[in-house]
Amino acid sequence: MKLFKKTLLAAAVLSSAGAMAKTTAIINAEIHTATEQGVIKSGTVLIEDGKIKAVSNEQLNADEIIDAKGKILTPGFIGSMNQLGLVEVGAVASSRDGNEKKGGITFDPSLAFNPKSTLIAYARKGGLTRDVIAPGWGEGPFVGLSSTVNLSGEFGSSVVDSQNAIIVNLGGTKDGSRAASLAKFIDKLEGQHTKLAKKSDKKDEKADPSKEERLLTAALKGEKPIVVRVSRAQDMLELIKVKERFGIDLVISGAEDALPIKAELAKAKVPVILSAMANLPGDFDSLNASLTTAGELEKAGVQVALTIAGDSSHNVYQLRYDAGNAVAYGMSREGALKAITSNVADIFNIEDAGSIAVGKAADLALWSADPFEISTTLEKVMINGVEVSTESRHDKLRDRYMAETNMPRAYTK
Amino acid sequence: MQRFIPSALVVAMSLGLAACNKQAPQGEHVSINKNPYPSTYQPYESAKLLIKNATVLTGTGERLDNADVLILDGKISQVGENLSHDTARVIDAKGKWVTPGIIDVHSHLGAYPSPSVESHQDGNEMTSPNTAYVWVEHSVWPQDPGFNTARAGGITSLQILPGSANLFGGRGVTLKNVPAHTMQAMKFPEAPYGLKMACGENPKRVYGSRKISPSTRMGNMAGYRSAWAEATEYKRAWEKYDADHKLGLAVDAPERDIKLDTLRGVLDGEIMIHNHCYKAEEMAMMIDLSNEFGYHAGTFHHGIEAYKIADLLADNGSCAALWPDWWGFKMEAYDMVQENIAIVDAVKNSCAIVHSDSDTTIQRLNQEAAKVMYRANENGFDIKEEHAIRWITQNAAKSLGVDDKVGSIEAGKQADVVIWNQNPFSVYAKAEKVFIDGAKVYDRSDEKYQAKSDFMLGQQ
Repeated sequence: MKLFKKTLLAAAVLSSAGAMAKTTAIINAEIHTATEQGVIKSGTVLIEDGKIKAVSNEQLNADEIIDAKGKILTPGFIGSMNQLGLVEVGAVASSRDGNEKKGGITFDPSLAFNPKSTLIAYARKGGLTRDVIAPGWGEGPFVGLSSTVNLSGEFGSSVVDSQNAIIVNLGGTKDGSRAASLAKFIDKLEGQHTKLAKKSDKKDEKADPSKEERLLTAALKGEKPIVVRVSRAQDMLELIKVKERFGIDLVISGAEDALPIKAELAKAKVPVILSAMANLPGDFDSLNASLTTAGELEKAGVQVALTIAGDSSHNVYQLRYDAGNAVAYGMSREGALKAITSNVADIFNIEDAGSIAVGKAADLALWSADPFEISTTLEKVMINGVEVSTESRHDKLRDRYMAETNMPRAYTK
Repeated sequence: MQRFIPSALVVAMSLGLAACNKQAPQGEHVSINKNPYPSTYQPYESAKLLIKNATVLTGTGERLDNADVLILDGKISQVGENLSHDTARVIDAKGKWVTPGIIDVHSHLGAYPSPSVESHQDGNEMTSPNTAYVWVEHSVWPQDPGFNTARAGGITSLQILPGSANLFGGRGVTLKNVPAHTMQAMKFPEAPYGLKMACGENPKRVYGSRKISPSTRMGNMAGYRSAWAEATEYKRAWEKYDADHKLGLAVDAPERDIKLDTLRGVLDGEIMIHNHCYKAEEMAMMIDLSNEFGYHAGTFHHGIEAYKIADLLADNGSCAALWPDWWGFKMEAYDMVQENIAIVDAVKNSCAIVHSDSDTTIQRLNQEAAKVMYRANENGFDIKEEHAIRWITQNAAKSLGVDDKVGSIEAGKQADVVIWNQNPFSVYAKAEKVFIDGAKVYDRSDEKYQAKSDFMLGQQ
């Protein structure tokens, strides 16, 4: 909490100083922009009102100067498709709010987002500043809506953009056929498609559409992406047909077997969210899972975002290590950075984050060296230009049990 | 259901005879075959091999720069500088790193294989709180593709454990990570058996939900104590039989009980305990339990709270096999600290281990150890690679009772060795060549040495 206090103090000084917005310059940084601009070997990021005001290869002046001393500055990383702030302890039912059996397309778990969850400070240790939370399961195929949250841990302002994508689960199931789930998914789109066509004929604007109808309409207009969790290549090909038929903004998540159809995914401009570590045939839908998938999809021209397999909520801080592994198996460094920043932002229409560019929120991470390397230390994290703590409950426990004391540990706070 | 009728009959008859007929001719001594499923492992053909100019982490705490490793007859022959040999094949490993083969003390490969479909759920005999009678080796599917991906990550030995639903889950087995089509052909020769025990939430949840004991943590403890009391009687009965028989008395052997054979093996010091146990207070009670019944508490696995009792674990000579960062999936996994392994390790006579319990992280135990080393070093520790490597080599070997055979690069040890393309604690590091008993079992640049499971053949 030391770092946080310092920032509060700075803010207090600032407010008494007058109306002029304070500017902060991070100078002498190796800036990895995650934009077309690529890497600026030594430059300045100028911050005002929580936003990036300038990105320059020169040294700019400001009210407050942070000397990066040649270290690496990246956009804050963005996790996705997990339940950060929606789950505290996996096996404690009352601490889980991310799934609703009969939730359906309108289920919005962001109403339950808890910015004080211990998972949030822990995720910041991995350089994460934002996250896209999403329902995991339900009776489906529609399981609900995802939302973008920032990881400031603050009440009131943490849910940045709610209901930004529709989440659908397809593929092999324990009961019944995947064909029925896929048909159900298509029928929903078709039903709304027909309804819209009829409405535009009759110019009937009296009947208020239901929430479900509004969501389906947004999807059919391509305004809201539909993220489909699916693993088998043939299922993805069926979904590409659906995309072409209805013009939806289709995103595939999971995608373990994407390798054999990488060209089709690229051609259809379908972004893919996947785990770089998935390389075992978990089931008959993922026989071609491989460590090289992320890199090969990138080379084929597919927009790739990385996510964490398994318990992605508690483990999302590992995103940078996963990116490193993706690089080790063929992804470009720039591509891997984009896969945990700008590509995630792009997929979920997060317009104000995911890269170091003028006008974006100053969500930044400063690293002692290569951010994907295990030996690298995270030195600073900023959200909206404000430095946030990376200390979590875990550190408090460590400090308690490492402190020199003659008293029971319970007295060490 | 081990108490089958014929032996019960024999016992009844013998009771009738024994009182009046101790002078009757003595029957043949009954003894229990402790190794009915013996290893048939044969090292593959090994070359004479001289690895030159590498950075060698010996697994004994030493780092040798620009060093050579000579492998003859499947064994480490020499380690040092400027070694030479007339006929050995030379591998120039300049710029590369060499470590002992990586050992995972906690794996379910083969028993929970890929694909993880219903028909493959063979790791957890969730039918009774005490299933000490099952042996997980009887579940191992050698064609699990996970063995091959683990080998590509430098895994040369691994202990397969049954799951954690039961107080006593059954016997584990230690394997050499070689491709084979029988379990026996993978079985690590002369490795002692392990017995899986489980504390805490799992057993009480599984059986509590069925309204049978245990449904609480106190129920767990009662279950262990009853079982050890029973095993003590069983051991006594056999020892009495053996002693009486030695005296020439016409005595009948006690009734065979497969479950109690295993527990007795622990009491006799032949089978090592591997205890899934997360919480500080529970690990402490398990040590008390072992003292009550006179066995060693062995290795604690998943000890998320091991850092709270690091002294106690070291004093008891117990290893702690831990994750660097898994947490939060249940209450007993809530108090994780990233420095857990480092804190346990810092105590004198400790035995800290990084384990996987995962078919994916087993492929990167080097990275898992790296996470611990670097995060701990950020917080006041000063741990070097040559020390951290022991968490996945020598300490792991000790936990499995095979440290006289593997786990370090020392003359005389089995030549289970990995050549890495760079510092293995880097996220970009890859195992290039993996040797087991001096035989090359994996080569990243040669498809001939990349084994493929029967299951994956012809799949598209």
